[in-house]
Amino acid sequence: MIKLLAGAGIASWLCFTPASVNAFAPDLPFYKKSPIATKVSGVVKDAKGDPLPGISVLVKDTQRGTTTDGSGSFSIDVNEGETLVFSATGYAAQEVKVGTQTTLAITMQNQNASLDEVVVVGYGKQKRGEVTSAVATVKQENFTKGFARDAGQLIQGKVAGVAVTSASGDPNATTQISLRGTSTLMASQQPLILIDGIPGAINTVAPEDIEAIDVLKDGSAAAIYGTRGTNGVILITTKKRGSRASSVTYEGQVNVQTIARKMKFLDAAGYRRGIQEGVFPANFDKGTSTDWLDVVSRDPVSQTHNLSIQGGSATTNYVASLNVRQWQGFFKRSENEQLIGRADLNHIMFDGKLKMNFNVIGRNRNYFAAPNYSYIYRQAIIRNPTDSVYNYAGFYREDPNGYNYDNPLRPIEEVDGETTVNEMRYNANVVFTPIKNLNVKLLLSTVKLTSLTGYAENNKHRASETSRRTGYASRGTDYSRDNLLELTGDYTRSFNLHRITLLGGYSWQSVTAEGFGAANSNFPTDLYSYNRLQSGDALLLQNNTVNMSSYKNNHKLIGFFTRANYVYDDKYMLMVSIRHEGSSKFGENYKWGNFPAASIGWRINRENFMQNASFINDLKLRGGIGITGTVPSDPYMSLISMNYNSTNRFLYNGQWIQPIEPVRNPNPDLRWEKKTEYNIGLDFAIWKNRISGSIDLYQRRTRDMLYNFPVPVPPNLNGSTMANAGEMKNQGIEVLINTQVYQTRDFEINSNITWSYNKNTLVSISSDERFKLANPFFDAGHTGEPIQLITHRVQVGQPIGNFYGYKSVDIDNAGKWIIEGVDGKPKPIADAKNEDKKILGNGVPKHTAGWNLGFRYKRLDLAVNMRGSFGYQILNFQRMYYENPTVKEYNMLESALDKVYGKTRLTSPLSYVSYYIEDGDHWKIDNVTLGYNFSTSKVKFIKAMRVYASALNLAVITGYKGLDPETGRLGMDPGNDNRDKYPTMRTFTLGLNLTF
Amino acid sequence: MYMKKQQLFSAIYLAMGVTLMLGSCTKLDEEVYDQVLETSFNPTENDIPSIIGAAYTPLRTVMVGWQGDFDLQEEPADVIVTPVRPNGWYDGGTYQRMHRHEWTPTEWQPVNAWNENFRGVNTVNRILSQINEGSIPVTTGKEALIAELKAARAFYYSQLVANHGNVPLVVDFKDTARPKQATQVEVFNFIEKELLENIPMLSEKNDNSTYGRMNKWAARATLARLYLNAQVYTGTAQWQKCIDQCDEILTKGPYVLEAAFKTNFITTNNTSKELIFAVPFDEIFATQNSIHMKTLATAHRNVLDLTGQPWGGNCAVPQFIDTYDPDDTRMKDTWLQGEQRNVRTGELILTYTKAVPSIENTGFFEGFRIGKYEIKAGARSGLSVDYPVFRLAGIMMMKAEALLRSGKPDEAAVLVTNVRKRAFLGSPAKATVTGAQLQLGSSYRYGWQNTDGTIAEFQGGADIPYGRMLDELGWEFAAEGQRRQQLIRFGVYDRKIWFNHRPKNDGKKRYLFPIPQVELDKNPNLQQNADYR
Repeated sequence: MIKLLAGAGIASWLCFTPASVNAFAPDLPFYKKSPIATKVSGVVKDAKGDPLPGISVLVKDTQRGTTTDGSGSFSIDVNEGETLVFSATGYAAQEVKVGTQTTLAITMQNQNASLDEVVVVGYGKQKRGEVTSAVATVKQENFTKGFARDAGQLIQGKVAGVAVTSASGDPNATTQISLRGTSTLMASQQPLILIDGIPGAINTVAPEDIEAIDVLKDGSAAAIYGTRGTNGVILITTKKRGSRASSVTYEGQVNVQTIARKMKFLDAAGYRRGIQEGVFPANFDKGTSTDWLDVVSRDPVSQTHNLSIQGGSATTNYVASLNVRQWQGFFKRSENEQLIGRADLNHIMFDGKLKMNFNVIGRNRNYFAAPNYSYIYRQAIIRNPTDSVYNYAGFYREDPNGYNYDNPLRPIEEVDGETTVNEMRYNANVVFTPIKNLNVKLLLSTVKLTSLTGYAENNKHRASETSRRTGYASRGTDYSRDNLLELTGDYTRSFNLHRITLLGGYSWQSVTAEGFGAANSNFPTDLYSYNRLQSGDALLLQNNTVNMSSYKNNHKLIGFFTRANYVYDDKYMLMVSIRHEGSSKFGENYKWGNFPAASIGWRINRENFMQNASFINDLKLRGGIGITGTVPSDPYMSLISMNYNSTNRFLYNGQWIQPIEPVRNPNPDLRWEKKTEYNIGLDFAIWKNRISGSIDLYQRRTRDMLYNFPVPVPPNLNGSTMANAGEMKNQGIEVLINTQVYQTRDFEINSNITWSYNKNTLVSISSDERFKLANPFFDAGHTGEPIQLITHRVQVGQPIGNFYGYKSVDIDNAGKWIIEGVDGKPKPIADAKNEDKKILGNGVPKHTAGWNLGFRYKRLDLAVNMRGSFGYQILNFQRMYYENPTVKEYNMLESALDKVYGKTRLTSPLSYVSYYIEDGDHWKIDNVTLGYNFSTSKVKFIKAMRVYASALNLAVITGYKGLDPETGRLGMDPGNDNRDKYPTMRTFTLGLNLTF
Repeated sequence: MYMKKQQLFSAIYLAMGVTLMLGSCTKLDEEVYDQVLETSFNPTENDIPSIIGAAYTPLRTVMVGWQGDFDLQEEPADVIVTPVRPNGWYDGGTYQRMHRHEWTPTEWQPVNAWNENFRGVNTVNRILSQINEGSIPVTTGKEALIAELKAARAFYYSQLVANHGNVPLVVDFKDTARPKQATQVEVFNFIEKELLENIPMLSEKNDNSTYGRMNKWAARATLARLYLNAQVYTGTAQWQKCIDQCDEILTKGPYVLEAAFKTNFITTNNTSKELIFAVPFDEIFATQNSIHMKTLATAHRNVLDLTGQPWGGNCAVPQFIDTYDPDDTRMKDTWLQGEQRNVRTGELILTYTKAVPSIENTGFFEGFRIGKYEIKAGARSGLSVDYPVFRLAGIMMMKAEALLRSGKPDEAAVLVTNVRKRAFLGSPAKATVTGAQLQLGSSYRYGWQNTDGTIAEFQGGADIPYGRMLDELGWEFAAEGQRRQQLIRFGVYDRKIWFNHRPKNDGKKRYLFPIPQVELDKNPNLQQNADYR
């Protein structure tokens, strides 16, 4: 089947890029005779005069090459008249035409904003100078140093317009990435993440194994990815053999963590004062003192080790790496152990005409996922601090009247559980270069992800007691397969001042997910844990804690795409592309769509009239437009399907039978969201590239927005239908400025500043007549139990993320809230009407900024990364729930006993009012890393050695009273800082990098 | 030149060879594994129960689901209240708004009632349309099946006409246009017509084959209830029509009054000979009956060794408890009160007291709890007790009320006495009630309840016409989701003060709930009910 598909792909590629057929015409240098070679040797040094190991030395237009050794020396056979190219990341490439000389002394110049830097774009690479859309690149040397949980943290604060948040301290959590604001209501807001061109996740490869991360920000760049491009595309390039010398590299680090911030709850002494003041009844003093957060937490110590080897010749080479991590979480037993192995093998044959690459990534992750730590956190902070963990008999102390009030240690200690995730990624790609400048590439990849979960509660668990059962255990497994075939062809031709690059391709992707789970309870012993489910008696007892389930689904994505780039005199650039793509998730009437893009660039500094402005090294104006799409998250949404209901049965003639019911309101017109994005950008570099950067202005408009639209009941069965009927707009500006503030041989200071502003507007939610709403809004977000109120309103003409509720302005003498009525006049909350609710703020930051400073003095370097968000609000759930002295059953914040508005203590019951909405503006000194590179020129076996110390999440300057002002930005209820959480941590790391 | 030709040739060869395969690699059909596609589902006659089952299962959420009809009918009335407890139950003030008649068009209880009843209506329409199209192959009994489905639809509408009144009348599943609103009178007429047309085709059996479904008697009971409230719904009383329907059931129906009141509410109450129409529940197969979860204190799980952890919310209004005759055994059969001891060890777990200080602040164990529906030891979070909608005692009391209001108090008194007898087995003399007594006022001490339990702003119930009949209905049907409609019929609903409720006296009766705001937003053809404009 694969074979057939590959063939079909070739055919379709041919159909789509007829120009490339002509490309077969030029003469083929298949059997070229080699002239006699001479040996050339030399030393490569940097501007400071230090020898440079690992510099690629390549004979231009051939595959012959070598790299410099530890002392910067090289030696290579060259024919007279050939040109040697010296290159390495971070340095400007140099070309030296070989004449009669046999020794060369090369000095490489540092390069910060080189126009020749290679940028990874969709299905190919481009020189930075020729890029006409908004593409950001962060190379390895600019990654955040020290501890990084995944690729997202490497570029935190470094790409304007990309907000990377890490709102949880869970060692298993990943970073959350949001690009240019929210442009969809329903579908995923995560960008498409490609690992060497293959879909993956932000944590698929170890941060240590990443060479570069490129972000396709605007529509003209992302349109080549069609329905997956709306949220931007993050292209992760793993380390390749490429231009580095054979070496063995070890990177290791160990870190300790402390909780970044604690909420000030009453301790035992404070609680007793509360009893004296009559806040709590006297019999609430249980006679002991317990710091419950201490009881459930620990000082976590984590380690990461990465070993990689690379070697081989210019024709056959490899990179292999092994990454082991053992991360502990703040809460007891919380952990994440991971092993990632990767092997990347390249072979070049037929004089460079055929390049083959095989890449295998294996990832094995084990973690203890049994308890719900967010809920345990809640239980720890609300528990009576005068209570003890155990009673005199050694049993856990519990309160029989407590509702959602459980001993927090018990669900950690009395469970057993393990989740194992195995991911295998195989990919092969073959590049055939029949003639110069024509490449035909076939990529085949399969990603298999399996997970196995086991969970057991023993007989001492509280649920065993409350549910009157002897233990509970479950197992579950999930399996997914993601098969991808891509066939692409590209052709480049230069003549006179013209250069044309053509790309065409076909992509076929099929994703199948399936799984199975079973649970049982009432076990004769705790010893089986989850390893002998059949021993549970629940099945015999027809207890509803016995459970079985399975699922399977599939979706396919097929795309045809083509792109043409044209450059005239390195001055004018044009790019056009289109993707014709279909997804099986769409309705019968709308399976296929077209996603075109175009962009232009103008290198102003190459114009004659700019000749005198020699301080300008680069000035490029570019503009683009592109259309991208978004698919619904779940397959089958368009279909008319039904399921048997096993839990709400029909009593038919004395038998409980399963009724068959429609799953949803069907919509055969379901289709992709379409986002049209305009982007205008300016790239600049002045004063010998001392200052460089870019400014981008964009407007993105999402039409046919997917949403579960409310539909009237009747005539519909369900109150909502998944449909395309909304429109959203995002406008913004992004600025990036890189500055070499000071640079001498011994001392340098570099600065990188990013700033972005985004304005989001919901233009419409009912452009389709069938989904017309009488009121231009719907509600989102929820406070949870027991306040039980909606927190957000999504309203036309307003940005996503508006808090909506009563605006508290004062408190009366009795301690009840006074709110601002619809007429602007104060009124008691008891008289509040629905129409008194107001917009109380917005949870999405308007401004996001980052400032990364790099200092180097001789071999000592210091990196300081800072970032912040401004112009947004946070609903502080912890204050909303625990800053209320009327709730005596749970522990409360010290501030609950303060006077509200300086007047009196609160007597209103728990309520959602604007008093708990705070400004979230903050500036984080996020990462400070101090490193030292040892001189290894005198050590025989060691090529490089570096030690560093790093602090992550070091300090935050904010007026926000909660744990962390960095709250989630995604979804329809951003800015909700929920009371149940895994607190964020401060991490101190010591690391060692060694290259042999 | 040779190479060039070869390349071109191979390219053309490839293109030709594989163009044939193009079809297969642009195929985007969905492969469905874990859902039943309508296109691949070809039902046989054996599938009919599963298909029609979906017409009845919404009844569970309609009647006793979370914030369902039970709460909708009890919370605005004077028998049950849900006060704020140490463990919550403020819930954004919804229970207080319900108690004070300050509900909004977004209040959950009436919104749920709309959604779930229309889910039933739409499902019936869907099945009827499938039968008409022939996609469900009904060969025998087609007429009876259609009649039954239409009667079920009429039942859903009988709920809607009482709660929202002016609702859309939808009968055609294929008509997907936004429906027009009908007036309460039109809805009333539709229900009456549908039931009268279809009753002749319905089964007269009362056995497993009709249990929980619309047989002739359940349909007549629906009609009787409609007529009893006709004056409220339409402005025109229909006492005789109500009496006629009750007589049909009383004289021709296969039902008898159970000797014990409790038999109607035990775990196996499906065997009760008194139940005409009940919504079947099961602790495994249909788990939504969680009346006990909402009413019991959390610690009560240690009384009955429950497997669920009760939420501890609603309880009896003390003023209502005070109306009971001390010898009326329904008081003990309806309310859990006093000391509660573990069923195995006898250990004292907790004590429920009658006093409920305030809707704003009440302790864990204050207030008597709903004990009408049997909570067996070890019960789960869903009871197996079926929820009675119509039972024979109800038909007798409907007829009695209609007789009383038609000037036949003595005939009414006979029926009421017959219902009372089993509640006064220890003092049979007290069972008898006279026509004169039924015309007296109510013994409910209407007035504002202070936190210490004393009554301020005393109104009493002496001025309520047929107030004693209202009391009788309260004692027999407390916690059966009927009180709101009773209070409306007896003119108490918008006039009296009870517990922490004070009438608005703003010219708005609020006999209907507001049309849900969300539906008004979605369907511009709908207009808000008059009291909420």
